[in-house]
Amino acid sequence: MASKTATKDIITLRGSAAIVSEFFGYSANSILYNRGVYPEESFVKVKKYGLPMLLTQDEGLKSFIANLTAQLSEWLESGKLQRVVLVIMSKATSEVLERWNFSIETDSEVVEKGMSREKSDKEIMREIQAIMRQIASSITYLPCLDEPCVFDVLAYTDKDVAVPFTWIESDPKLITNPEIIHKVDTLVSYKNDEWDEQ
Amino acid sequence: MIVRTPPTKKLRAAPPETETPPPAPATGPGPLVIFEDDPPPSLPPPGSSSDHLLCTYQCRQMVKSDFIDALSNAEKQASDYQSKLAALNEKFCKVVTCAAESEKNKYLDQFLYAEQELAAAKAREQDLQEQLLKEVHDSDERLTKQLQSNSKLEVKLQNEMNLRMRAETSTGLAEEKASVIEGKLRHLSDSIEKEKKSLNNNLAQLKGESKLTVSRITADRERMECRAHNAEKETELLKKQLDDIKKQLSECVQQKSEVEKKLSNLTFQEVESTENNILVKHLQEELRNFDAEVREARKLKSAHENVELLKEKLLEEKSRRERVEAELSKLQELQLSMKKLEDELKSWKLIIKDIPGVSCSEDLPVKFASLQKEVIDSMMKVSEANAHLKQLEVALDAAKIDKQNAEIEATLAKEKGDVSKSEVKRIELMLSMVTEERDKLRNVLNGLKSAKNDEAASHTFLQEVESSLAKKEGYIKELECGVCEQKEVNSRQREEIKLLNERLNNEARRIKSLERESDRLHSEIALLESKIGHGNFSAANTKVLRMVNTLTVDNEAKQTIEALQTELQKTKEKLQAVEELKSQSGDAGKLVDSYISGKIVQLKEQIATLEKREERYKTVFADRISVFRRECCELFGYKIVMDEHQRPNGIPVTHFTLQSIYAQSDDEKLEFEYESGSTNILANDYTSQSEISHQVEIFIRKLNSIPAFTANLTVESFNRRTLT
Repeated sequence: MASKTATKDIITLRGSAAIVSEFFGYSANSILYNRGVYPEESFVKVKKYGLPMLLTQDEGLKSFIANLTAQLSEWLESGKLQRVVLVIMSKATSEVLERWNFSIETDSEVVEKGMSREKSDKEIMREIQAIMRQIASSITYLPCLDEPCVFDVLAYTDKDVAVPFTWIESDPKLITNPEIIHKVDTLVSYKNDEWDEQ
Repeated sequence: MIVRTPPTKKLRAAPPETETPPPAPATGPGPLVIFEDDPPPSLPPPGSSSDHLLCTYQCRQMVKSDFIDALSNAEKQASDYQSKLAALNEKFCKVVTCAAESEKNKYLDQFLYAEQELAAAKAREQDLQEQLLKEVHDSDERLTKQLQSNSKLEVKLQNEMNLRMRAETSTGLAEEKASVIEGKLRHLSDSIEKEKKSLNNNLAQLKGESKLTVSRITADRERMECRAHNAEKETELLKKQLDDIKKQLSECVQQKSEVEKKLSNLTFQEVESTENNILVKHLQEELRNFDAEVREARKLKSAHENVELLKEKLLEEKSRRERVEAELSKLQELQLSMKKLEDELKSWKLIIKDIPGVSCSEDLPVKFASLQKEVIDSMMKVSEANAHLKQLEVALDAAKIDKQNAEIEATLAKEKGDVSKSEVKRIELMLSMVTEERDKLRNVLNGLKSAKNDEAASHTFLQEVESSLAKKEGYIKELECGVCEQKEVNSRQREEIKLLNERLNNEARRIKSLERESDRLHSEIALLESKIGHGNFSAANTKVLRMVNTLTVDNEAKQTIEALQTELQKTKEKLQAVEELKSQSGDAGKLVDSYISGKIVQLKEQIATLEKREERYKTVFADRISVFRRECCELFGYKIVMDEHQRPNGIPVTHFTLQSIYAQSDDEKLEFEYESGSTNILANDYTSQSEISHQVEIFIRKLNSIPAFTANLTVESFNRRTLT
């Protein structure tokens, strides 16, 4: 089993709270689709950031991701979030097969002043397209997941964060014998005022 | 003055008087003498002249006129001379005043010129003084600035020295730690080697033991196989007997039935014949005999059953033996693992002994906690070192900037030094010019002095000029002193600049060493980042959270709920049906219960019979298959042994070994492999013999017929056997 395990290291999400949490949602959708954690037919294509994005239609998953991103953006606004890890585990044995590391770089200025910087649509689109492509390309390196899998999201926060009602402390869910370490070095820019869906 | 001289004399004197006799009435300031009057007694001249001129009035008149003429002439001459004197005086005055004035003017001009020059020199001097003062101020300021920068640089140097000291101490600590860890590592490697040796010894021992046990087990197995063969033979014999007895039994039963029929017929006809009674008795005897035989047969049958039971038991025993063998191997493995574990335990104990501050295993968690704390501390230190590094980098940048500034300042100072040098030269030139002027003025003054020693005013003036000149010289000397000081200051500044340059070089070296250190720290950071990539984190300032109500739990709960709901639905339906049934038949419930229990008993019975049947089928099948094999062997002349195994890629393969009943040795074997519908011959020692391989080539490879090959081989070996 060890050969199947892999660590995905490190996708950097950089920018304001809103953009980071929003983009994490899209990344999670993309990974869940591409790794086959959820059936292919439960996703629909949506055009976003000038790219065809796949969004789940599973109500449970939708609400889960919505709650998750809401909490993440709350932490991001206070600058308490260090990292988000998407863990893919075997459904039968709960063995950790993959860890997708999202390193967070919040703009301190944005956190302190609570205002977002502006960047052109083109720039944002280019950067997000780059990150999406890098996720897709890192997926091509990975072995097939030939058993039913489940996923979980871990949030690495500062020690002084009050644990919300619906969250609990967890172990880091490390891979016992990590084989492949694939580096993805990307960044996402700051949020523009309003996203124009094109 | 009237000269009372004789007339001769007067005459002698007269000609010159006549030559210039001014008329008496004309002019003359001299006293007028009246001739008519007697000469006053107070007048001595007549009295005195009476000696000579005791003449008449006429004479006297003559003399008088002569005298007057002479007087007037004399007076005229006097006036002429006076006028001439005045004129001459005027002329002289004029000449004298003109000359004096011109000279005075000249001197004045010269004096003024000198004054002007003096003033100019003073002004120049002042200018020079001001310039020098300015320069002195500038240089003072520069000096203070440079001193300030120097002090700043010294402070920075001190800071960097401190930082370096700290870094050195940290590296020393790290080295010590590394050495401690190396020692531990060595210890561990030694212990591992020891373990290896002990394990190897154990392994060798176990191998020997296992060999012994294997040989024992094989001997046992052979013994058991022999027994099994014997038992099989016995069972076959018993079977044959059984068959015979069965036949007899069936015959007996038939006869019995016939006899019974006859008997029944006979009982009805008992009265009819007495002979029949005898017959009946005979028959009854026979019947008894048959009964005895039947009993014997039954006994035999039971013996046969016993044999079968024994066979089954044998099989069971065999399987048990196999299990035992398997368990034996497992036992060996377990023993091995036990030994390993014991060794590991020992090594752990040794390690625990080696760990300082740990006496028993209970101390280990505490030690681990302390080690974790240390790790956290070291992480903190690393982060501190990073921060320190960043500070150093910032200091480095600042030092670089300072260095550039200092260099710029040095070049500026050099330029200023050059400028001041040129100024000094200029001042020196001016000084030489001024001294030249002074000398000239001095010469001029000397000239003037020689010319006009008597002129007091100019003298005092000259003295003033000289004093001013002396002052000027004093000034010039002061200026020269200032220039010298300036030069000294310049040289000092140069030395300082040199010192600063040296320091700059030192700083540059230090910067390089710091850069190296920063590279090292960068690599460390990369290592730590890779650790973080695996998911490591410091528990001191990070905690990991996850959502409680995760999706998997939700889904599973949903699925179970759905399954339970469907089940509930079904049970409800069943309940409804049962209730309907109940309503249909009031007290049928009890009946149903009894019916169900009865049914259960029935089903159990059925199961028991089915199990029995299965057993029976199994035995029958074993019989049939053995018959089939035997017949195959007899019909085709080959003993066939079949075994199955799996290839490494998971494909099942059946292996057939054929041995001819006419074979002259055990090596004469044909091996075939059956795999997914095709049978292939396998090469072995026998088939690789030239004769056989030729046949294989012809029959199997070319004609593609294994039966032809085996038949041919059978015939050949039969011939060989019968001929020999």
